[in-house]
Amino acid sequence: MTSAIDQSQLAELLRSWEPNDEQLCLAIRGLQHHYGTGEAGKQVLFDNSLRIGKGEIVIMTGPSGSGKTTLLTLIGTLRSVQAGSLRVLGDELNGMEVEQVNQVRKKIGFIFQAHNLFESLTAFQNVRMACELVGMPPEEFRPKIESVMTRLGLGNRIHYKPKSLSGGQKQRVAIARGIIHTPRLILADEPTAALDAESGREVVTMFQELARDYGTTILIVTHDNRILDVAHRIINMVDGSIRSNVDVHRTALICQILKGFSLFRELPPKTLADVADKLKLQCFSKGSEIIRQGEIGKEFFMIGQGQVDIEIDGAKVNTLGVGSFFGEVSLIRDQPRNATVRAKDDVTCFVLDKQEFQEVIKASASFEEELRKALFERQ
Amino acid sequence: MSRIPLAWKNLTHDRRKLFVAVSGIAFAVLLMFQQRGFNHALFDSTVALLRDLDGEIVIFNRARFALSSELRFDRNVLDLVLSDAAVQSSAPVYLENTVARLRRFGTRARPIRIIGVSADQSPLADAETRQKVEELLQKPNSALVDTRSKRNFGFNLNPSPGTEEAGELAGRTIMVVGSFSMGRDFAHEGNLLMLSDELARYFPYRAVKPLEVVDLGLVRLTPGSDVQAVADRLQTRLGPGVSVMPRQALIEREIAFWARSTPIGTIFAVGAIMGFVVGVVICYQVLATDIANHLSEFATLRAMGYRNGYFFRLIFSQSVFLSMMGFLPGMLASWMLFRFTSMQTGLLMMMTWDRALFIFVLTFLMCIISGAFALRKLLSADPASLF
Repeated sequence: MTSAIDQSQLAELLRSWEPNDEQLCLAIRGLQHHYGTGEAGKQVLFDNSLRIGKGEIVIMTGPSGSGKTTLLTLIGTLRSVQAGSLRVLGDELNGMEVEQVNQVRKKIGFIFQAHNLFESLTAFQNVRMACELVGMPPEEFRPKIESVMTRLGLGNRIHYKPKSLSGGQKQRVAIARGIIHTPRLILADEPTAALDAESGREVVTMFQELARDYGTTILIVTHDNRILDVAHRIINMVDGSIRSNVDVHRTALICQILKGFSLFRELPPKTLADVADKLKLQCFSKGSEIIRQGEIGKEFFMIGQGQVDIEIDGAKVNTLGVGSFFGEVSLIRDQPRNATVRAKDDVTCFVLDKQEFQEVIKASASFEEELRKALFERQ
Repeated sequence: MSRIPLAWKNLTHDRRKLFVAVSGIAFAVLLMFQQRGFNHALFDSTVALLRDLDGEIVIFNRARFALSSELRFDRNVLDLVLSDAAVQSSAPVYLENTVARLRRFGTRARPIRIIGVSADQSPLADAETRQKVEELLQKPNSALVDTRSKRNFGFNLNPSPGTEEAGELAGRTIMVVGSFSMGRDFAHEGNLLMLSDELARYFPYRAVKPLEVVDLGLVRLTPGSDVQAVADRLQTRLGPGVSVMPRQALIEREIAFWARSTPIGTIFAVGAIMGFVVGVVICYQVLATDIANHLSEFATLRAMGYRNGYFFRLIFSQSVFLSMMGFLPGMLASWMLFRFTSMQTGLLMMMTWDRALFIFVLTFLMCIISGAFALRKLLSADPASLF
């Protein structure tokens, strides 16, 4: 059976599947938050967990009152953590000392909905406030401020005071102030709401460059769907909980890999994305049993890497390689496993639960057809 | 390159607001200057006579508790002191106070202080006045009037040279032929300066020999003498009938007497404190308004990682700027007001460096205190409210 699976894509996927702590920018576990205490108290965040890697662009959406603003202030060290664990760039914020908090804040770039510029300072000086704080020397920040502001279309407004700037221009100055010191994490609240399409696009392009070149993680709360395309991850919050957390980047990568499987070749993109979201990745070391004959089947497997041996009643009957799948028969027919599958070498499999597998079959006629064809070929 | 002077920029950004702020603080400075000025003026005036005399040591009757009490001592004493090696010369000052009544024709008689000095042994420090006193020798029954005397004596207090005005003193005619400047105080509404021989003629009932009893004896020492040591020596020599004191010490004693026996110190201290409080309120208002108007900007700075120390320095600098900017115009206005009140009241309104420095320290404190209050407001800027 031919395989069209791109091993480099697979390797990338494997790398990003479970990022280790060093690659994480943000690790949230069991985070809760209350406003007020006792009877009058109101819980706004319920046991949230989230892991965001370095260089990710995350867009957070949700209705007002869903707790996304609270989450943003907690991540930004602007509120103290009450319960749960919140690690930003490796530092635990729960119970952190004030002095250390200021150090963390310097690594964060804040872009607020209001521009909050000092009327008494020029645009240049407002941006410079951020440079001085991190001790950037003048020969470094002068050209840097000029180039960033020029890119944001403020080249001829550098030494203007906010009074002589339009709302959008002020917002762009505030953005320049938020990103000038190349922060490791940018927290932005509706950064593009006040901007026209062109400058909004320039802003997100700069975000992308920061994410790509410096590994800056960018967390944007927005309802502006013009910039959804830059998101690596989209988080939706409802009633104080993270309702969905979609790794767009990984989903896309999985979809591309799945297209390499003949089984999924004809699947419409929507179904493919659904599958990608539900897919798990499992690794098996050489010689271990993946499924055992006689067991009740619960999962469907696709081989991404390595080869497996099929054994029936202890006798080896077949060998499957990359791009092949197994475990479908007992799911379709609701029977015990009819064979044992053993890893011939180190094997990586994409795994789909029984229920989800059946949903995919229902959703796509071509998938069922492909499945039948494959089954027929195998016999 | 230095940091952005945010304190200065914020303060001076709005010229109109800055003007109002500086005016307010200058007003507080003016209040404090004026209150302290009155306080000093009243005390300064009581010792104006002592200040204008020449001589390091003053001899007076031991029982004379204040300059205005008329207790005198024997003139011989002034000859006795000449035997001391450190003494260069001595000179008597004759004063007439309670019985001296001066009347212009057509007005009521009013009490006035008569100062009698001799022309050849003049105790006056001012050379010009000494000269004028010498000229009195040419004109019998003549005197000089203090330009700071009360107006209702009816004299032209600033006579042009050569003019003469007649009046009545102790039932005799007196010609006012010129003026000098000294100042009036609690006890005296004005001063008349004349030769001691004339004084003896006007007030013959002072004593059997009117000039044998002296009010104050001025002693000049040879340069470089230890004033206190000589005073002590003379005191031992002269016995308990008279007091011998360095002139400066007597000035302080006189001021202390008036400070003790009148509520002036308290009244004007309260006045100055009111000025101070007004200043604190105005300065706080200026700083707090600026903070309130920029609360979200300051909150942004805190979010960025600016520490409390930065805001502390920011407000401190603004306080210092405000105190300096308010002090200068305040001092200038006070100086003009001092001249005006001095002219109007005849009080000695003096602005000396140490007094100006004292007011500056008060102004500085005033702004720092309001800065401390304002800082609390700034530190309440919550960056969590920005998102």
